Amino acid sequence: MSKRQLAMVMDLNKCIGCQTCTVACKTQWTNRNGREYMYWNNVETYPGTGYPKNWMELGGGFDAAGDLQPGIIPNLEADYGVPWDYNYESLMGGMSDSNHFHPHVSPTWGPNWDEDQGAGAFPQDNYFFYLPRICNHCTNPGCLSACPRDAIFKREEDGVVLVDLDRCQGYRYCIAGCPYKKIYFNPKISKSEKCILCFPRIEQGLPPACAQQCVGRIRFVGFLDDEESQVYKLVHKYKVALGLRSDYGTQPNVYYIPPTESPAKFDAEGKIIEGSTRLPVEELEKLFGPAVHDSIKTLKAEMKKRKETGVSELMDLLIAYQHSDMFRLDNNYYQQVARENKRNPLAPVDTRYIAGKFTKAGGHH
Amino acid sequence: MKKILTSLLSLGLAASAALAADAPVNAVKVSDDLSAITADSALWSKAKFSTVTLYPQAAVQMNDKKANEANSGDKAKKAEVAALHNGKTLALMVKWADGTKSVQGGYSSDTYSDGFAVQFAGATKKAGPLPYIGMGSDGRPVVVHLQKATASVYEPNGNKDVSTQINRQQTGIFGDELKAYDAKVASLAKTDYERVFVAEGFRSLTEIKDGSVASVAGMTYNTNGWSGTLARPLNDSYMKATGTVPVAIAVWDGEKMGRNGLKNLSSWVAVNLEGMKVDSKIVAEATEEAKGNVEKGKAAVDANGCAGCHQITKSDAQSFMGPSLSNVGGYSTVAYLRESIVKPSAVVVPGYNRNAHSNTPWYTIEKGKRVSAMTDFSFLDKKTVDDIVAYLKTLKAEVE
Repeated sequence: MSKRQLAMVMDLNKCIGCQTCTVACKTQWTNRNGREYMYWNNVETYPGTGYPKNWMELGGGFDAAGDLQPGIIPNLEADYGVPWDYNYESLMGGMSDSNHFHPHVSPTWGPNWDEDQGAGAFPQDNYFFYLPRICNHCTNPGCLSACPRDAIFKREEDGVVLVDLDRCQGYRYCIAGCPYKKIYFNPKISKSEKCILCFPRIEQGLPPACAQQCVGRIRFVGFLDDEESQVYKLVHKYKVALGLRSDYGTQPNVYYIPPTESPAKFDAEGKIIEGSTRLPVEELEKLFGPAVHDSIKTLKAEMKKRKETGVSELMDLLIAYQHSDMFRLDNNYYQQVARENKRNPLAPVDTRYIAGKFTKAGGHH
Repeated sequence: MKKILTSLLSLGLAASAALAADAPVNAVKVSDDLSAITADSALWSKAKFSTVTLYPQAAVQMNDKKANEANSGDKAKKAEVAALHNGKTLALMVKWADGTKSVQGGYSSDTYSDGFAVQFAGATKKAGPLPYIGMGSDGRPVVVHLQKATASVYEPNGNKDVSTQINRQQTGIFGDELKAYDAKVASLAKTDYERVFVAEGFRSLTEIKDGSVASVAGMTYNTNGWSGTLARPLNDSYMKATGTVPVAIAVWDGEKMGRNGLKNLSSWVAVNLEGMKVDSKIVAEATEEAKGNVEKGKAAVDANGCAGCHQITKSDAQSFMGPSLSNVGGYSTVAYLRESIVKPSAVVVPGYNRNAHSNTPWYTIEKGKRVSAMTDFSFLDKKTVDDIVAYLKTLKAEVE
């Protein structure tokens, strides 16, 4: 367990599935160098297969006794989807019947292949919501537990879980061990890579790219021990933000405000069934555990209070007026940590593991 | 010396053919340069091949469901090993059967490569048996040369090269300029996955990246198997050779998702350097046969509750606490087995998976040293320990 823990809260009532976070992450980190198929941040439709395909059924995580569970490493083509590209260059000579614009592979699967399909019968009771996912920077990470080389570490100063690319030998047990399948194999460098919570940005006081760019302003970022932070208030004070699939036993640090608002169902004549709601609470319980009932109760009560009295700290907080309130990061803190550890306060890259402990430098002397 | 002679004499009494350790390999002396030898060198015609048995590593089982299923067969393999030396360089050839050629490469998340490794005992002043095969132990380092069959691996992080990380489509260039860019990226790739590591105990394996080991390894596939070669100096800052060099061999099968612990490995094998004085202590240790009573040993294992923490045979349930012993007789020397019973903290081996059970850690740290979670069985009398060792030596898979 780290000394401090950064956390993110995502408000699912406000996610519109626009994928701006996905694009922010992709252009920042994963559009190059063997990471093309990876989505460190993705937004999937729930219910749905998710990304990678059926990730909730691929094992990993811990059982109640604390035993790491065996897992399955997804296949790039069948489960992630090959990122296809187009024949831009050959079009320089003009298009013709034999030379037309086409992808370099015939795509058979990809992220969001089943986007917006959801479940239920249209138009009576069909439903879905969006589930944005990043690495959960778990307190008890399955990936870290699975690694036989100690190539994954959790930073003391903020609990960010990182792969030490120097130690990593590409064994991929981490992928089997992560129940969220949020760590990926980079075939070009034969090492595992994952969301780094934009630590080079975080250390300069900037929120992760996905959170900064979110147009729905659904993401809050801060330290869980900072009582002034909105993540603290949402997770600990109001207890409305809950971990995803906490039953996997990894103690995730990305929290979700469950979707409380969904339209009513229609009857056979297409009339609204008063008081009904399309989103089955059982589905939310599966994702967020039994605490979801209290969370929904609190959210509804505060909403009512706001309507009646005009006053609710929780609702004001979820409206997300100011980025400066939503993101409470502190670059002075990181500079202090760097100085205490005799590291360069201006260099963002974690260099702790680069020199091999047992390598005798120079050889013959 | 007297002791060694006694133990050598006892060999003939206790050993049956089925339990015999692999005989020493003779490294033929040549005057040629061996520092860059490959599998197709004519010099290998002078070498003599010896058979070495490679057992499935069973001590630690990892968490890859499909790989564990693929490897549930648990059969040992035979490898043919030959050696040459010229007084400065030792060259080894390892030939093993593998019907499926697996080369890791391409845009894939779940394919693995065939490979092999040769392990040497690192230079040490610490007395005691040869280092633990695989990871060594505190003060008793091992040097591991690893060669894997991989297509190009591009390591911009290692080269500190950021400008060539972007995809070709995003370079904003076309035609000849783009071709030149592709060529530059390709030239930065490493086509040979050859690594040298040093380790002093589990979790300490560290790649030697500063060029302080001058070695050359290679792999060649012929119709039904691989020939792997390695040339390395007999002496460098990591290793000091006598007339006998102890080596251990491991091979990986990519088809069975082999990597890391999912491998077949040998016990220590003595390589005697022709023209030099045989190091009888190393030969004795590598070929020592257990002299206890197997039946009594099995009874002692039951009586002392070893199965409480260890999986003893493959048919027992996997235990989370200590390493599985189901193949321990194949890849362990008698000296190591004896030491592991009476001095469990000399080499601390993880259980099934260290973090698999956070309630039962496999070691604690006391005064900066790892202390094994295993009970110290030094109270057992010497005869009982010998009996247990004799039983443990029978725990090994059949040869396929």
